[in-house]
Amino acid sequence: MKQSVAFEFPDARREDYTRARRLEWWTLAYLLSAVVLMALVMGQSQAMRTAWAEDLLSLVPPIIFLVCSRIALRPPSQRFRYGLHRAMSAAHLGASVALLAMGLFLLYEAASKLVRAEHPTIGAMEMFGHTVWLGWLMLPALVYSAVPVVFIGRMKLPLAERLYDKVLYADADMNKADWMTASAAMVGVIGIGLGYWWADAAAAGLISLSVTRDGYRNLRHALFDLMDQSPRTIDNTRPDPIVERVHQKLLAYPWVMDADVRLRVEGHALYGDAFIVPQQDINDLPDRIGRAVEEVRALDWRLHEIAITPVPCITGDAERDRPKG
Amino acid sequence: MRVISGAVWMLLVLASLIVGCDMPRDPEGTLRRATDGVLRVGVSANPPWTKVTDKAVTGIEAELVDAFAREIGARVEWTVGTETELLQALARFELDLVIAGLTRGTPWQRQVALTRAYVETASLIGLPPEVPWPGSLNGQEILARPGDPAIARARRRGARIVSARDLAAADRPVLAADWELQAWDFAPTGTILEQHAHVMAAPPGENALLLRLQRFLNERQNDVRAALPGMAR
Repeated sequence: MKQSVAFEFPDARREDYTRARRLEWWTLAYLLSAVVLMALVMGQSQAMRTAWAEDLLSLVPPIIFLVCSRIALRPPSQRFRYGLHRAMSAAHLGASVALLAMGLFLLYEAASKLVRAEHPTIGAMEMFGHTVWLGWLMLPALVYSAVPVVFIGRMKLPLAERLYDKVLYADADMNKADWMTASAAMVGVIGIGLGYWWADAAAAGLISLSVTRDGYRNLRHALFDLMDQSPRTIDNTRPDPIVERVHQKLLAYPWVMDADVRLRVEGHALYGDAFIVPQQDINDLPDRIGRAVEEVRALDWRLHEIAITPVPCITGDAERDRPKG
Repeated sequence: MRVISGAVWMLLVLASLIVGCDMPRDPEGTLRRATDGVLRVGVSANPPWTKVTDKAVTGIEAELVDAFAREIGARVEWTVGTETELLQALARFELDLVIAGLTRGTPWQRQVALTRAYVETASLIGLPPEVPWPGSLNGQEILARPGDPAIARARRRGARIVSARDLAAADRPVLAADWELQAWDFAPTGTILEQHAHVMAAPPGENALLLRLQRFLNERQNDVRAALPGMAR
């Protein structure tokens, strides 16, 4: 059995990884400043409060990435023979539960404010000897909180794809959509300004819906990963072609009559088993399997470990469900 | 491209609103209705902030309200009642303002719209002339008016409370408001037991009225501060 290799990333990916970490530090610092600024100008606007909570929540994925990617890259130990890649999946699960719960809570708050016809009060603040309505300060604070984050999100997205990092991807995706949150909150604040008390709670409801949706999608993804779902592409739209490539690679060996492959995802790493039906008259089978393991692993840097087991025939559900051709 | 269009859209909304818009407005139109009309004010007695007699409503807050009403050309229609009753009516838009010597931190702060503090006062220990300060409340006899909520805090610090109605003639350290000490020429100590941020209450979400009142109050903060000691003499 081959041990999980300490060498995680090929050189090009290592650069991406360093860059992703740097971007996540920037995200963290920037969002923190936005959260503080928004807290300073927060009145009783529920839309503002929800946008603020959303920004506060979007601190979590960068923290998970920064902390867990360190842990996940530790080499396997006696205690954790498969390495620690799943630290990321576990953190992802925890964070998505929090995200979902928060989204539902905010949704409930917005709905109950609408039902009770609560009129949001936005007071004033003394600034340079003038009494300024807080709503006027909320609008630029919201712009500040959103615009740069959107660009950081767009920079992180291709890195997440290349590093096959789901937390980073979810984070970048949420950042990218941040302008929608901010504009919804701005519409809410402007609605209050124009004397439509319900605009605020309605905008808050929209934002909390998007938080809830993010939470649900992340939770689903994290759960399915922990349940050893077959690898899917990073945007979760289709099965990852890597499974079929490994399958084809094995079938291409003249001494392999039939083969079956199953892979699972641990963090950004792929682990799995292959079953082959070798020809009857092979006498150096262990050597051939050893070489095949190396060649299969060379297909993709994400393939950390694959065990090839010779079997007399291929059966089972997975085989039945596999799309042929 | 979607990001760019999003950013442009946001800026457009912002720009179009800054141009020619009187924000904020009242959802229930209170300020517009009261201007050159009637300002319905609820008052609950709480001297020196509000004093209610058969003939008139006076006190610091009542005078402020009178001046505010003059500024917007409104006639004040007073309703005397208990704080709970008045604030409930305010929360349902049946009154336009409530004054009752309210302070920030009232349990009503989420149901009605409170202004910012127009004056801040403190309950603290003061010393009559020639009375020395032992430096600590522990075991010390303190004169205080019965029912003053700050007494509980003084007790927790070990003070022995002696009830007295008239603190101005005291011969021992007293627990009183900072402006009272000033009026009686008592020396304030650094032992502050409680701070009070005095506010008025407007109907919830009536942001135009609140902002107008806030601007009015902000201009008068110093006057209020200066007028307070006169109330204790």
